[in-house]
Amino acid sequence: MKLIFEKSIKGRDGYSLPQDLFNEIKIEECLPEYAISKDKKLLSEISEVDVVRHFTKLSKLNYGLDDGFYPLGSCTMKYNPKINEKLASLSNFVYAHPLAPEETVQGCLEIVYNLNKLLCEITGMDEYTMAPAAGAHGELTGNLIMRKYFVDRGDLRHKMLIPDSAHGTNPASAAMCGFQVVEVKSNEKGTVDLKILAELMDEDTVGLMLTNPNTVGLFDEGIEEIEKIVHDKGGLLYYDGANLNASLGIIKPGDAGFDVVHLNLHKTFSTPHGGGGPGAGVIGVKKDLIPYLPTPNVAFDPERKKYYLLDAGEKSIGMVRAFWSNFSVLLKTYAWILSMGPDGLFNASETSIINANYVLAKLKKYYKPAYDRYCGHECTVTGREYKKYGVKTLDIAKRIMDYGMHPPTIYFPHFEPYAEETIMVEPTESESKEMLDKFVDIMIKISDEAKTNPELLTTAPHNTPIRRTNDALAVKRAILTYDDELKLKDELNYQEKDINF
Amino acid sequence: MSNKVIENLYYTKSDEWLKVENDIGTIGITDYAQDQLGDIVYLEKVEKGKKLKQGETLTTIESVKAVSDVKTPIAGEAIEANTKVIEDASIINQDPYKEGWIAKIKIENKDELKNMMSAQEYSEYRKE
Amino acid sequence: MRYIPNTEEQKKEMLKEIGVSSFEELIKIIPQGLRLKKRLNIPEAMSESELEDKIQHIAQKNSNFFLMKPLVGAGAYRHYIPEAEKFLLQREEFWTCYTPYQPELSQGTLQSIFEYQSYISRLTKMEVIIPSIYDGASATAEAALMSLRLTHKNKIIVSNLLHPHYRETLKTYLAPHEPEIIDLPYNDGLVDIKKLKALIDEDVAAVIIQSPNFFGGIENMAEISEIVHSKSVLLINVIVESMSLGILKAPGEMGADIVAGNAQSFGMDLNYGGPYNAYLATKKQYIRQLPGRIIGETVDVDGKRVFVMTMRAREQDIRREKATSNICTNHNLNVIAANIYLSLMGTEGLYQLSFLNTKSAHYLEKLLLKSGKFEKAFNYPFYNEFLLKSKENISTINKKLLENNFIPPLKICEFYQADNLKNVLLFAVTETLNRDDLNKAAKILSE
Repeated sequence: MKLIFEKSIKGRDGYSLPQDLFNEIKIEECLPEYAISKDKKLLSEISEVDVVRHFTKLSKLNYGLDDGFYPLGSCTMKYNPKINEKLASLSNFVYAHPLAPEETVQGCLEIVYNLNKLLCEITGMDEYTMAPAAGAHGELTGNLIMRKYFVDRGDLRHKMLIPDSAHGTNPASAAMCGFQVVEVKSNEKGTVDLKILAELMDEDTVGLMLTNPNTVGLFDEGIEEIEKIVHDKGGLLYYDGANLNASLGIIKPGDAGFDVVHLNLHKTFSTPHGGGGPGAGVIGVKKDLIPYLPTPNVAFDPERKKYYLLDAGEKSIGMVRAFWSNFSVLLKTYAWILSMGPDGLFNASETSIINANYVLAKLKKYYKPAYDRYCGHECTVTGREYKKYGVKTLDIAKRIMDYGMHPPTIYFPHFEPYAEETIMVEPTESESKEMLDKFVDIMIKISDEAKTNPELLTTAPHNTPIRRTNDALAVKRAILTYDDELKLKDELNYQEKDINF
Repeated sequence: MSNKVIENLYYTKSDEWLKVENDIGTIGITDYAQDQLGDIVYLEKVEKGKKLKQGETLTTIESVKAVSDVKTPIAGEAIEANTKVIEDASIINQDPYKEGWIAKIKIENKDELKNMMSAQEYSEYRKE
Repeated sequence: MRYIPNTEEQKKEMLKEIGVSSFEELIKIIPQGLRLKKRLNIPEAMSESELEDKIQHIAQKNSNFFLMKPLVGAGAYRHYIPEAEKFLLQREEFWTCYTPYQPELSQGTLQSIFEYQSYISRLTKMEVIIPSIYDGASATAEAALMSLRLTHKNKIIVSNLLHPHYRETLKTYLAPHEPEIIDLPYNDGLVDIKKLKALIDEDVAAVIIQSPNFFGGIENMAEISEIVHSKSVLLINVIVESMSLGILKAPGEMGADIVAGNAQSFGMDLNYGGPYNAYLATKKQYIRQLPGRIIGETVDVDGKRVFVMTMRAREQDIRREKATSNICTNHNLNVIAANIYLSLMGTEGLYQLSFLNTKSAHYLEKLLLKSGKFEKAFNYPFYNEFLLKSKENISTINKKLLENNFIPPLKICEFYQADNLKNVLLFAVTETLNRDDLNKAAKILSE
């Protein structure tokens, strides 16, 4: 589609400014010569009408969650309630400046305080910090907390154990915190190999970062043994909460012995994905780690009956962001929890587990499961069967798009022996039986096509706004701005039909 | 899956090949490796004069969807880097054994060749 | 429950098809000893109307912020956001979808991000743009880490006038790497150039300067750049009020190597502190050390011009512990917000608005000085924020402002302990205060 710059026409405008522009004040009276830009920075000049049409058209090139099935494993693409969007847009919240006096933001503080309590109860932890802006940000915060804990005891440890099945952010976060990442191999059942874990866990190891159910959707039954192995050597157990949707009302990570927990509010707690955020990656800790939480916390003074920001104290790791939190995301989370209630939360997990196992049961004749057991809230199958027809799992995913659905996650997790062929389906509780049946039918149809007409798959998708992209060329050309494109204009030689669709 | 091998080269378990001419070793990655990586887009230039031990990282190859370390098959000093593949990394996909060579080193200890595989052995090792 | 379509009946059917007699069989593997013994002790489910009622009541415990005029900025600036932007952002195709890993289904997102990268590139006059790090503070920290990787050095000079939250965050991120962090003091409201000359040496990885700085002062970045680059040191320019880019010289023109910019002013509401968004900008030669997602242009099999996530081999899902950063989910929707905002404002609009902000601020400062109740704390050129020392007690005057529907300016002693900063306020002015508002504020402060 045409770029906004290609629609620009000199003299057009899409903004309005007050009549009074303080014209009596000259630029030299305000700004020093060394700082004034010689020319105006060129953006674009477009009327409001055309801007609205441009972005409306652009949006239609996207497939959103309200369009249909979005079964991305480990992403928990559940329904985003519309009432929560409305509540987050209330003007007393929207226009609240983060440095406004505490007495003017008692509403905001009350929500954060109460959310803290709710999350503690749901996950069995003692205190939450709302600072982290995303899951990975939470992982970094959690790692920093664990590091400070050990530094404080004069016992700085250098290694962090991470399962080979872990999401890439886990080792990346541990490395950002200066830890040496030690990979723990999974056993043939797809869960953490306890023998290897016991061998690797020592007194120079901070602990283990674990996702449970793990990234293949399997609940790690060795959890009690894992907890013992890590804690026996004075280590800490970190819970990557990306898959918490399998546990609400069933098991609390705090009860399973986890010391630090991060939650992805934009996954389990229904806040929208936004095409890649903003979400939030709040961190919950057990009592012993509370002193290390980022500053400030929200506290309540029962005498004055007022909420206030409390400095976390000397042992705090400091700040991981400016101001306090992704407040609007917290508000939507709070609203969702209140809408679901205790039964609703259990229902969410129960339904998502049943949904995933239902898909697994119906798919397994056509796509071999990665592991032969009941799964959690997501199931992992493989496309290995179709390699012999020249069809890769990628091709299967691209063909799903032709049937009007978003494909599941592919090629993750990476660990052997399934690395290249995994298809991870997470329906979430928001999907109906009919939708799941439809998905299975499509997958079965595609398995047929793989045998009878593989080229249809290897050249898929056919029915989407654009087709398969040349990713290697993107890296080679490195066109990262419109100005980069202009520099290569002659070489690119785009025709009208290439741009105007 | 691609797994062509060339005779008279030495091979490593980490998918590198080594051509030995007197004291000079030429290093590249195998056909299997380039196939696994997919479209190769970039590799870091090998510094001349860099002294390397067997198994140490020589350079890193980047494809669209993956990254892989190229390990030095045999200890030595890097004496030349193939500038052609720096300019156009896809040459490694097209011709991994000839035009797609990555670096030349001055071999330190020919005894280390004993630890390497023959073309036949490597072909077996990477058979599906 | 309306968000969970499958009924108990249907779930029973599905269990049968799975081949189990109860849900318990599916979760048998979870140790009984760890299960919840009782229902979650949280409030019972509320209906939608009950929920709205409750939250509306809580909102009433906040001030009526829409009607309040902020005299404070310090990293969060109230600007008018055109309704068209808010309307467009409500399209579900923008806000419900996932990260654009499947470009065939995400051209709306991907093209928007590309357009935004192009805008920021022109505003900063830098070659490569990372469109989203969570916020300015974490972006500054990432820039610092990037400079350590690029130079293999372990010393960083940080301006004392870098936003205190950004400085804190920087320290937190750097703690595990234990670099030497050298504080660069200020003099008369701007970076102390003499001190910088004395501190700069070949062991320094980067110098981090915010401009306009926390006091609102406009640093002479070209002069600073000369000093910094006299040794092989990187210059990291932090921008907290990106609106200033409309009228001020671009960091790329003044020698910045890396720019970390808070983009909140481009179409993001205050929302009590977040979510906002930040960009990183740098030279093409440093691209492989950049953290975060970047979008590039290519073609599809039909030759159509399309946009994709590119240069992915830097990122965590491929590089894992060797990634340039752990960042995965960022603040993408705010990138689209900013893209729409900049598209509406355009070349003229942004320039005029940026100009208006500084004129309004200078107007207020003049009025307050004229009143005789204030004097300059320092003598430095400022963009839209300035310090004034009050002759009255600042708690008292802030209270008065609050009672008159102004969000009071920041008491600078909350962040800086110097004696000469006692009773000093940091004022900010944006276009949301018109002449009447400013006259009113000045009047209240003159009484």
